[in-house]
Order: sequence, then C-alpha cells, then structure tokens
Amino acid sequence: MEIKNIISSGLLELYATGLASEQEAAQVLQWVQQYPEVADELAQIETAMAMYAQANSVQPSPHIKEKIFATINEDATVIPLKNPGKKDKAPIVSISTFWKNVAAASVVLLLGSAVLNFVQYNNNGTLGKKLAQNKELVNNLQDQAKLMEDNWRIVQSRYSQPVTVNGLPVSPEAQAKVFWMKNTGDVYVDPGNLPEAPKGKQYELWAIVDGVPVNAGIIITTKKGDQYSIQKMKGFGKVDAFAVSLEAESSKPAEKPDLVMAVGKM
Amino acid sequence: MFSYLYDNYAPALNAVIYKMVEDRALSEDILQEAFVKIWNNFTSYDKTKGRLFTWMLNLTRNLTIDTLRSKSYKKQTKISGDENIVSNIRDNSSGIEKFDSLGLVKQVANLKADQRQIIDLAYFNGFTQDEISKQLGIPLGTVKTKMRAAISELRKLIQFN
Repeated sequence: MEIKNIISSGLLELYATGLASEQEAAQVLQWVQQYPEVADELAQIETAMAMYAQANSVQPSPHIKEKIFATINEDATVIPLKNPGKKDKAPIVSISTFWKNVAAASVVLLLGSAVLNFVQYNNNGTLGKKLAQNKELVNNLQDQAKLMEDNWRIVQSRYSQPVTVNGLPVSPEAQAKVFWMKNTGDVYVDPGNLPEAPKGKQYELWAIVDGVPVNAGIIITTKKGDQYSIQKMKGFGKVDAFAVSLEAESSKPAEKPDLVMAVGKM
Repeated sequence: MFSYLYDNYAPALNAVIYKMVEDRALSEDILQEAFVKIWNNFTSYDKTKGRLFTWMLNLTRNLTIDTLRSKSYKKQTKISGDENIVSNIRDNSSGIEKFDSLGLVKQVANLKADQRQIIDLAYFNGFTQDEISKQLGIPLGTVKTKMRAAISELRKLIQFN
C-alpha cells in the first residue's frame, strides 16, 4: 500500500483510539516500522489525542497521590546491601525501582518535550531555530532513554544475576554492582557507587575463576555521565567471585591485580 | 520522577475513568489501582508500539472495564443520550488551568458534537467499532472514516488557534 493511502485509511486513528482489532494493530505496527512517515503521522495523532485527554482533565483528590506512593513504597523490596553475618551468599541488591524511575523519567521527558515542541510551535508560528533546538533536545533525550532502556534491560533480565562487589577495609565506600547473565555468561558492571578514580589510576574488574583472578576489563568512571552507565565487560562462563582493583592508568588491562578494593562472591 | 508522571497524567486518566464509571470515589479507587499497575508493569511498556500516554490509557481503560465487569456494574445505557458525553467536557474545570493559557480547552470545545462523540465513545468509553456503529447507527465500515475525519478536525483545531 502506498504511504498516502495508509495515512488516509483511518487505521492509524483506530489504533490511536484503541479501536483497532489485533490484526489491524499488527498491520499498523508493521507500517510504523517500515515507513518513518507513517510513524510520524501516528505520533502526531497520539499527541493530539493526549492533548485532547488533557483538555478533559478531572483533577483527582490530593490524597490519592499519597496513597499511591504509599502502596508503591510498600511493594518495593530492598534487600540490605551489607550482609556481614553470612559468608556463603553474596548480598544481592534490588535496584530495579531506581532504574524504573530513571527509565520512567526519560520517557516522560521525551513525551514532555514533544508537547513542548508543539506548544512552542503554536505560540510563535515561525521559529526554525527553536524547533531545531528542541529537535536536538529530543534527540539527546532519545539517546538517554535508549541508554536507560539498555541498562534497564540488563538489570531486569530474568537471566541476570546481580552481584554486589563490596568495599574491602582499604576502601569501604567503594562499591559496584556486577550483573552476570546466566544464559550467555555476559558480564556488565554498574560503577555508579565507585568513587572517582584518583588521578593517574583506573579501576579494573576481575573475575575469580578457579581461584585465579582474570582481568575482565577497565571500568570507566572518569568521564562524567558515563559513570552511571552500565558497561559491558569480558564474559565468563563460570565465575566464583568478582573483584574491583585500582591500577595505574593504562590503555592495557593489568595482568595481575595491584590493589584490590572490593570483592563480591557469586 | 514517578511523581512527575502522576502530576501530568493522573488528571487525564482520571477523566477517562470518571467518564466510564461516573462515580467520583470509585473513579479515584480505580485511578489508584491503575497507577500502581503502571508502576509495576513499566517493564512491559514498549515504545515502538506507541506513546507512553497511549499505553497508560489502554491499561487504565482495560482496568476500568474489568472493574466494572467484576463488580457487576452494567455498562449503563445512559450513553444513549449524547448529552452526557458532550456535557462532560464542561464539567471538569478543575484540572485544566495549566492548559488554559494555550486555549486548548476552548479549541477542543469547537469540535462538532458528533465528531466529539465518536472520539469519546472510543477513546474514553472504550467502545468497540461494532458498538460504535450500533450506537451511532452508522455502517461498521464508516467508523474508520468518521473517526479519521473527527481526529483530523481535532488536530486542526489544536494547531490553528
């Protein structure tokens, strides 16, 4: 079907208002993947519908929000980070709530900026410059959202086994989370809680395999922004524990760990 | 951050629920349940399948329909008189201050009654194509074209104030 015929078919409108049958919805999604013009048209319809819903707002009573947040907080299970009593199990941290929040926020920002675009377009009429700025903003937010979604996917995967690598007495505040994928052996590290590496030093991740430390790669913590991003490291099919060490800055990973800062057992 | 989501979309979602149940307290109960569900199911949101708001709306609408069914509320025949649907738009002055500056409410109010009705039946009341065709006494095949015409009009009204 030609693009203009797709757009004029009315199926996009059915989809956006929840009227499309399963078959029609599948068809629409296929077009959306295939033709950017169709995706754009659908996005505009959805924006119009969202604005229509906003125009019909019914403000809920103020106490509803508190009740919702009370329920959500009850549901969130957080296992304590430190678990000094037991040595056999690595402490496992539930951080999904955090990532959910982050991902939710980036998606909201994305949607919000689309509305903003629209509003500004309305207010001025001619504003190529502002529109360009907003486009850039949307692109940045899209990149961020993508990154967050990727991170989130790792954290949420049912194959993902999180291991908290806790600081040793030399550096009690150093902490990182490692995600080991049971199905593929892929290893990811979230260095969000590692302090910035001192000048001339860098963190490296080690997998302890049969009692021998094997380098799993350099952890980037210096560049701002990257610090909070989960990084893919070298994969291992079998690991006893993970460790983080501080090494002299180098583009090459060290062969043996110099100063081990933190350890987490599987 | 979830708070932001709530502040921005709760009034619109509440409007949808309220239009379906026409009971303020019940509507807020369902809203509450909907947001907990949105929170818990956030992983299943797939942005390639459409906007976040559309996803939230579908989830909310389905939950409302389920609640109405489970509580053996009957889908009331009141919808037969279109004055209910049309009047709702003016009832709800409380949540819309933010958008007044845009004149959005006024623009939307310019939509023809029959066009607003077909949008509302689908978008707010959760009617199927078949139900809409019966409700409005139009052939099933024209629901699509009428819906497109109505939404095109809505888009024009929003864009060219």
